[in-house]
Amino acid sequence: MSSRILPEFELLPHDIDEAVKMLGLHQGKASIMAGGTDLLVMMGDGFRADYVLSLGNIPDLAYIIEESGKWLRIGAMTTLAEVAESKVVQEKYTALWQSAAQNGSPQTRNMGTVVGNLLRASPSGDCCCAVLALDGWVVLEGPQGRREVAIDDFWLEYRATARRPDEIAVEVKLPDVKGNTTSAFRAMTRTTLDLAKLNAAVRLDMSGKQCENARVAIGAVAPTTIRVRKAEELIRGKEINEETLEEVGKVVSTEVSPIDDVRSTAEYRRTISGVLVKRVIEEACKGV
Amino acid sequence: MSELSIVGKRIPKIDAREKVTGRAVYAADIRMPGMLYGKVVRCWNYAHATVTKLDLSEAAKVPGVIKVLGPQDVTSNTYNSGVLDLMVSDEMRKMLGDIEDQPIFTDHVKHQADGICGIIAETEEAAERAAEKIIVEYEPLPVYLTAEESMKPDAVQFTPLKPGNKAFELPEPAFPGNAYGWGDVDEAMKKADVVVEDAFYVPKQKQCQMEPHAYVALYDDRGRLNCWTSTQMPKLVQTKLARLFELPMSRVKVNQTTVGGGFGARLGMVAEPQACAMAMAVPGKPVMIQYLREEDWVASESRHPGMYWMKMGFKKDGMPVAVDAHFTSYKGGYYTQGSGVAFTTGAWLAGMYKYGALRYRGDSYYTNQVPCGAYRGYGNPQTNFPLEQLIDRACNELGIDPVDWRIKWHKDVGDDGWCIGFKYPSCALTECLERGAQAIGWKEKRAKYSTQTGSKRRGIGVACMNHTSGAMPMLLEHTVVSVRLNEDASAEVILSCSDLGCGAHTALTQIAAETLGFPLEDVHLLTGNSDASGFDIGAHASRTTYVGGGAVKQACEDVKRQLFERASKHLGTPADQLEMKDKRIFIKNDPQQSVDIKTITTLGVINLPDPATGQPVGEPGQILGYASYFPPHNSPPFSACFVELEVDTETGEVKLLECLTAYDIGRAIHPPSVEGQLDGGVHHGLGNVLTEETYYDKKGLCLNSNFTDYKLLGPSDMPKLTNILVEQPDPYGPYGAKSCGEEGIVPPIGAAANAVYNAIGVQIKEAPITPEKILKAIKK
Amino acid sequence: MKTHSTTFFVNNKEYTLDIPVHRTLLQVLRDDLSMTDVKYGCGAGECGACTVLVDGDRPILSCLTLAVLMNGRKITTVAGLEKEGELHPVQEAFVEEGAIQCGYCTPGMVLKSVSILEKNPSPTEKDIRRGLEGNICRCTGYEKIVKAVQRASIALAASSPVKQKEGGKV
Repeated sequence: MSSRILPEFELLPHDIDEAVKMLGLHQGKASIMAGGTDLLVMMGDGFRADYVLSLGNIPDLAYIIEESGKWLRIGAMTTLAEVAESKVVQEKYTALWQSAAQNGSPQTRNMGTVVGNLLRASPSGDCCCAVLALDGWVVLEGPQGRREVAIDDFWLEYRATARRPDEIAVEVKLPDVKGNTTSAFRAMTRTTLDLAKLNAAVRLDMSGKQCENARVAIGAVAPTTIRVRKAEELIRGKEINEETLEEVGKVVSTEVSPIDDVRSTAEYRRTISGVLVKRVIEEACKGV
Repeated sequence: MSELSIVGKRIPKIDAREKVTGRAVYAADIRMPGMLYGKVVRCWNYAHATVTKLDLSEAAKVPGVIKVLGPQDVTSNTYNSGVLDLMVSDEMRKMLGDIEDQPIFTDHVKHQADGICGIIAETEEAAERAAEKIIVEYEPLPVYLTAEESMKPDAVQFTPLKPGNKAFELPEPAFPGNAYGWGDVDEAMKKADVVVEDAFYVPKQKQCQMEPHAYVALYDDRGRLNCWTSTQMPKLVQTKLARLFELPMSRVKVNQTTVGGGFGARLGMVAEPQACAMAMAVPGKPVMIQYLREEDWVASESRHPGMYWMKMGFKKDGMPVAVDAHFTSYKGGYYTQGSGVAFTTGAWLAGMYKYGALRYRGDSYYTNQVPCGAYRGYGNPQTNFPLEQLIDRACNELGIDPVDWRIKWHKDVGDDGWCIGFKYPSCALTECLERGAQAIGWKEKRAKYSTQTGSKRRGIGVACMNHTSGAMPMLLEHTVVSVRLNEDASAEVILSCSDLGCGAHTALTQIAAETLGFPLEDVHLLTGNSDASGFDIGAHASRTTYVGGGAVKQACEDVKRQLFERASKHLGTPADQLEMKDKRIFIKNDPQQSVDIKTITTLGVINLPDPATGQPVGEPGQILGYASYFPPHNSPPFSACFVELEVDTETGEVKLLECLTAYDIGRAIHPPSVEGQLDGGVHHGLGNVLTEETYYDKKGLCLNSNFTDYKLLGPSDMPKLTNILVEQPDPYGPYGAKSCGEEGIVPPIGAAANAVYNAIGVQIKEAPITPEKILKAIKK
Repeated sequence: MKTHSTTFFVNNKEYTLDIPVHRTLLQVLRDDLSMTDVKYGCGAGECGACTVLVDGDRPILSCLTLAVLMNGRKITTVAGLEKEGELHPVQEAFVEEGAIQCGYCTPGMVLKSVSILEKNPSPTEKDIRRGLEGNICRCTGYEKIVKAVQRASIALAASSPVKQKEGGKV
């Protein structure tokens, strides 16, 4: 049951140290809001939080900084639209760029954030898929200061993350990529504007035609977005050709555990997962 | 026909400016002093249950709450939110078995979101907070989601009036064997060379009009019940409310607000009964109800889903010797339009092709889904899906081109229409098929696509449709129009026809101006006020331009006749020797002798006796034209639709490329509106066949009552749209016009299904045709 | 009830209001300021009927925006597009193309179209269709809306002073 009227709550202060303290104080009763495109929908559906920390009120959380040779850092209030408009992201982190540019509508891209997408921990999150392939890290700020969690360890289960209740996710960072690294993302949806029924992203470190290293991520086939390690092993050290792709396609469907929902069926997701991964690898290869 | 100066012109719509500036007032935009907010508290967690306890006391204590109303606090009269029962004779109503099974608030929940009680509060927020304090306990009942489940002998009965939960079947007295049709189907089928047969599922599609239902009601100090609503049919709602609350019609006023889309969702009543019941509990205070989108989804009617079995027999040359069909629809929790769709689904089938024999059976069973009612096409989309696919399957077996088959076997002028015995007065379907096929490159593409390889397969499909222009002869057809000439020779056209956004009021204004011979700016339409306007059955059955336009034309002709009579006296010349141009009436043979219309209308109103003679100067009396119009006929339109698409055979995904509709419009009164109706219809039709379906879990709770989970095609999903308006004026329609309100939705369904068939060689029998189903079919 | 004093501009007019924290911008505009040109369509960010522009050309969903977070922001609703009785070229194009049926999506659709053209004055048909995603119209099949944006694009180019200057040079 939904409502136009949100439950009452209080906003937490805007200073980050103060906010962290308050989060500790109100553990379990406080929610953090970035763009609001998820939290306010949930609250309209009856989700209650006595306290809301709006990151929009905390200064300096919207940035895309390239630390050459090290990291690409994206702040927690950087919108999907800003990521989609970034030349650096487009050229070097294509998978993330695609996942942001195709995400939702222009309005939700103006409001929603990459970090918010990771925090929501939906198994079909488009940016989740891209960041997992790109080997990202989530930077959390808490009472003990900052800590960083590898994206591989970030999602614990369906809609649950490694963020502690008194921590704020302030940034996602992606390791720098060299010229021989390529990535791509693809979502399958019922219509153009839809949550993914299936999505996949890859990062390939190439050496000529040979793949030195690969990260393959797939979403909406398990409680969280997952890596398909068997597929990664299959292509690692090999030339990517029809034959390897065929094998990858086969192995993917054995690694997924999808369910039925309004967007698709378990059977379809399983059948098609290999095709999607194949296609996303092919697309990434075009970018070399 | 003489040349038309206003009809057929691409003028801006009369309501465009108020809408593009955001100034048009929809029901939820109304602001009144002291206005209260009403909320219907609904049962969200059960689809079938009895209420065992209802405690309103805590809710009543919430600050800002004025009153909380349970079932005992409102009239115990029940109603039928549909309006068919108002448009048939008493005998017919009894024979059909239409019933009134809806209470204002219920203690037997028959579908998710059935209304339990109501809260009236100072603000929406107070009403929402109070809703959380309502204490209600339920005893769950078994949930039936299909007819097959609810028809079982031990099923809980929805109403004692409908044993076996059979809400409706074609009644024996009028339909021997509970069937509609002609000839001996069993015998004819035996003679067929090719027989095709299958059972199809047609989906529970939601209208998704963009304006969620909203109302304001006020029981005023004169004891009148006022309701502001975006209903499609203000006059029938006035009748229904008067009956429900036992008031004379003179004490019920319906004000129609700007209608934010209808598509059948507002055919009859939605929450007018609840809004009015609340208003009557707080006399003198206006009460507003604005549905949530989710509420709109699960507490207002949708299209009838169901199983549609069809069998067709053909001779080698393609002659369709017999059709046997049976549509069992899932009614949902209440009866509403139970009789209507079950009949028309077969009527559209009957009206389409020249079958040697036809037997159609239609029935409907209660289920614990959201009730089904009217939705654009009214059974026609359901028929198009199996019929057009089976024809293409037969054409495939017979080696006949699907366009050639349709040209040869579609019904034509003089054939029985959807109502047996009622002949088609006009039909341009052959031209539609020929021009459409030519424009889209049918022959070339069919040939090209028969030799495809690779994973991307293109397909092109065709389908036809016949529909209706008005409700006759099945239902009452009647519209009243009065036209009052002001003293300055401008015209006030008073009627109750609705414009759901389709441009009907623009077209009616054009018809009025054309007929009167007045410029557009001299004509004003007064609509949406049930006090002022005479009878009208509302906007449904694609009737407004055809019937409403006919009524406007007749009333304006009455005005013109009166003007000519007065001019005749003024000029001392018989009326048949007069002509009118530029608002002057002159003698044909002596154009110098003329009288200004304004002189006539001014003298009609400001008529002072000549002081010398004491006699009136000229003719006193304000001119009032009038038509109580029962149209002489029904002129159904036809169309042919072509869809081209591409199927990814690795994923089953469909990419839409083009949808071309060639349409038998008779005459397009306002061409942009006709195009708009067709374009919009295509959106609904392609959605019906490809993406749109309401899903329920086992408990009968809706899984996709929002735009995230229920998928409409977006702007990037729509194919290139092409319209060909074929104008062969109809002998009965105003200026030759036929209707176009519902029809656009129908043939894209069959055409897209046939395009998929053309692409992959397999037919999908369950709509919507999703990638999941396509892939499964290909793998088989 | 927790409230915050908030100052923002709507259609160039300044408002300072004491707003309950949990109230959305949509509620404040419609219910508190009677700006009923902003429409409620779904309340969940799915339909775009409640779209407003923030700080000039950035479309957002007022149903998913807390009003108290709008401090200092400039909000444009469709009522703010008309200048001295003259429709905005996008509005003009919607009227001319017959891109309006029931009109309920129109305010959001017009604002969205303005934002598309602000960002890219000469969009391709694909750009327009992608840009319109997130605004649902159930009446038109989007066909005439796309044509209206194309028409507006041409009209705006013709009236833009830069273009006129360049045209003059040629």
